[in-house]
Amino acid sequence: MATDTLAVEHGHAHEQKEDWKGGVSPFNVSYGKLMMWYFLVSDAFTFSAFLISYGAIRFSSPTWADPNLVFNAFPGLPGVDAPLGFVSVMTFILILSSVFVVRAVQEGHMMNRKGVVFWMFWGIIGGAAFLGCQAWEWHHLITGLAHDHGMTIFENSFHNSPEPVPIAFGQLFFVITGFHGFHVFSGVILNIIICIQAAQGVFDRRGHYEMVEKVGLYWHFVDLVWVFVFLAFYLL
Amino acid sequence: MAHLDQATYQKQVKAVWVATAWLSVITVVEVVAALLWLYMVDPGTSKWLLNTFFIAASLLKAYFIVGEFMHVRYETRALALTILVPTVFLIWFIIAFLWEGTAWQEAREIGGVILDYLNNTGGHDGHGHGGH
Repeated sequence: MATDTLAVEHGHAHEQKEDWKGGVSPFNVSYGKLMMWYFLVSDAFTFSAFLISYGAIRFSSPTWADPNLVFNAFPGLPGVDAPLGFVSVMTFILILSSVFVVRAVQEGHMMNRKGVVFWMFWGIIGGAAFLGCQAWEWHHLITGLAHDHGMTIFENSFHNSPEPVPIAFGQLFFVITGFHGFHVFSGVILNIIICIQAAQGVFDRRGHYEMVEKVGLYWHFVDLVWVFVFLAFYLL
Repeated sequence: MAHLDQATYQKQVKAVWVATAWLSVITVVEVVAALLWLYMVDPGTSKWLLNTFFIAASLLKAYFIVGEFMHVRYETRALALTILVPTVFLIWFIIAFLWEGTAWQEAREIGGVILDYLNNTGGHDGHGHGGH
C-alpha cells in the first residue's frame, strides 16, 4: 500500500500528536485488521500458557522424553533412525505455505486477481500437506510402530529411553500440537473460502483485497506458533 | 487500479524472499546443530549452550515472521507497540512457572525421601495416626 511509505514518515513527533486528536485512525489500519491483530495477541497468550505449562511440568519431572529418540521416524523408511528428519520437512512446508500466502497478499495490493488465486492455491496445498504430515506423525506415535506401545494421553513406553517418560509428555504433545493443528485446519478452510471468493471476483468488485490480508495474518500466526512448538517439543 | 506502485511492490516481494531464505537457513542450522550435538557430544554434557542457541534462533525466526510476513515493520509505531508490548508479560510468566516447576520437583523429592524413611522404619502402617 502507499501507506507503507507514509507509515515510516509517521515517526515525526508533530504528526504523531495530530494522530491522537481524533478524526483519523492513529494505527492507520482498518477496524477489521486491528481486531484480527487483537485476536491474534489473545491467541498468542493462549498458546504461551500451553507452552509455559509444558515448561513447568517438564521442570517438575525427574525424567523427560528425548526428542531425538521419540521423533526419529520418516514415512516410507521403516526402521531408519532419522532424528528430527520428518519434522524438519513439516517445518519447511509450513514456512513455504506462509510465504505463498504473503505473495497472495502482495498480489492483492496490485489488484492482480490471477496472482492472488495462484499463490493462495499453493498456500492451501502447503497447509493441507502439513496436516497430512501431522496425521501420519500422530498415527505413528499412537500405534507405536517403532516402540513397545504407542504414546497416547494415557500411556507411553519408549523402550529406547533409559527411564520411564512421564505420561504428561504425551498429553502435552497431543493437546498442544492438536490445538495448533486445529488452527492450521481452520486456516486452510479460511484460505479456501478466500481463494474461491477471489476467483469469483468478489474483491475486485469490492475495490480492495484486504480480506486476503486479514486471513493472511491468521495464517502467518499459525506459522509463528509452530516456531515455538517446534522449539519446545523437538529442539529443547 | 493497483494500491501500490511498481517499485514498492518489487521491493516488498524481494524483502519477502530474503526473509524466506533467512527462515530456511536458520531452520537448517538448528537441525544440523541438534544432530551434531547428538552424534558428537557426550550424552551427559549440559545442553545450556545448545538450548540458548535454539531459543535465540527461534526468536530471530519470530522476528522475520512477525516483521516481514505479518508486516509489522511497516505499520505505524503505535500499532506495532500495541501488538508487541503485551508480550513483555510473558517474560515474568515464563520465569514464574519454570521456578514453580522446579519447586514441584523438589517437593516431590522431599516427599519421596520422607515416604522411604517411613516405609523403612515401619512408621507408616497405612492406618493413619495412633495405630501402635
